[in-house]
Amino acid sequence: MEYNWDFGAVWTYRGLLWTGLQNTIILAVVCLVLGLFFGLFVGAARYSTRPILNYPATAFVELFRNTPVLIQIMWFFFAFPIISPFQVDAFTAATLGLVLNTTAFSSEIFRAGIQSIAKGQWEAAKALGMTYMQQMKRVILPQAIRRMVPAFMNRAVELVKMTSLASVIAYGELMHQAKSIAAISFNPIEMYTAVAIFYFLLIFPFAILVRRLEIKFQPGS
Amino acid sequence: MGYEWDFAIVFRDFDLLLLGLVNTLKVTGFALLFGVPLGLVLALARLYGVAIIRVPVGFVIEFLRSTPPIAQLFWFFFAMPLLLDIEIDPFEAAVITFSLQSSAFFAEVFRGGIASIDSGQWEASKALGMERNAQLRRIILPQAIKRMVPAFMERAIEVMKTTTLVGTISYADLLYEANSIAEETYRYLEVFTVAAGMYFVVIFICSMGVRHLEHYLGRTGEITTG
Repeated sequence: MEYNWDFGAVWTYRGLLWTGLQNTIILAVVCLVLGLFFGLFVGAARYSTRPILNYPATAFVELFRNTPVLIQIMWFFFAFPIISPFQVDAFTAATLGLVLNTTAFSSEIFRAGIQSIAKGQWEAAKALGMTYMQQMKRVILPQAIRRMVPAFMNRAVELVKMTSLASVIAYGELMHQAKSIAAISFNPIEMYTAVAIFYFLLIFPFAILVRRLEIKFQPGS
Repeated sequence: MGYEWDFAIVFRDFDLLLLGLVNTLKVTGFALLFGVPLGLVLALARLYGVAIIRVPVGFVIEFLRSTPPIAQLFWFFFAMPLLLDIEIDPFEAAVITFSLQSSAFFAEVFRGGIASIDSGQWEASKALGMERNAQLRRIILPQAIKRMVPAFMERAIEVMKTTTLVGTISYADLLYEANSIAEETYRYLEVFTVAAGMYFVVIFICSMGVRHLEHYLGRTGEITTG
């Protein structure tokens, strides 16, 4: 029963793990930036009362919120290339899945944030002669985004965790590198323990920051 | 793009997909069965335990919440059996992983619910001569649990979505069945689309249920909306 832990291989293959960590971060950052960007527009469409904007946006959000993200990634990797006009590699498929998923979730944050701004702000901005875009850009969003910050950080945490799913379609992120090393060096115990700790060290500081911000931005404080 | 869709192939093997769906629900059910009570225990330990219990429990909860479920699943499936010198099948590994993983999230739901109960409720029940356990069991938890229902159901849906990972360790859930049918028939597009549709139907119905319940509980004043 006594097991001799040997983390030697983790150190030997540190170059591969470092590449994996970089790929994890690249994937997470790309997906977060694009997801938040598109999320703003989908959120605004969801907030709109015009059916031509509202219905497709709602259908999109429901579709991506109510299916597992793994099947979204696998759909983009295995199914999408058949009808896609361009080449789909693992990075593209993972990015498509994660961006659309993040878009759907962040659009709900934008919508809730915009909704939380008192109606008087819209009216006041309108009374100053601003157009809809100006009202949104100059008055509503600057106030709303402050309130949304903790929720966005939470999405970022979830997103970093979700990037590990790209290992299933063999994108060389941290989890995939760990899997490969464990297979070459026959040390699943140390490898999977080490990779869990790496993820914890990567994500936990964010989680703490989110909690601090949540307390700071609490309504009434 | 001249692709000819052919769903007939998918529906020939539809029973396999349904079987996969049943297995998905089975893993979800077991994970909830163990995860919820464990979550309550962890929450109580974190709230009222002495420091020597509270601190490690807090660490375990944070660790489980801050690592990807797939890393946990691989650890329990590939690392733990070697470490403890036991044999474990994919189903058991999945149930262990998702019970623990969800218990950490349920613990936070319990903790939030218990903390949301006004301190006057504790004082009033104390004034009636109840002990701490009785206060918790008879006064605090019944009120707290009502408030937690929507958060619980949302977590339960998350658990169902997370269980798709078991396909990666060859447990025959819906995604795994879809993948094997697709490999045999080369009809990736149809098979994955149908599988995604099946997930959507099940999860969407659950989500609608949660929304209705939330609305209902909000109207009867048993939860604070927002």
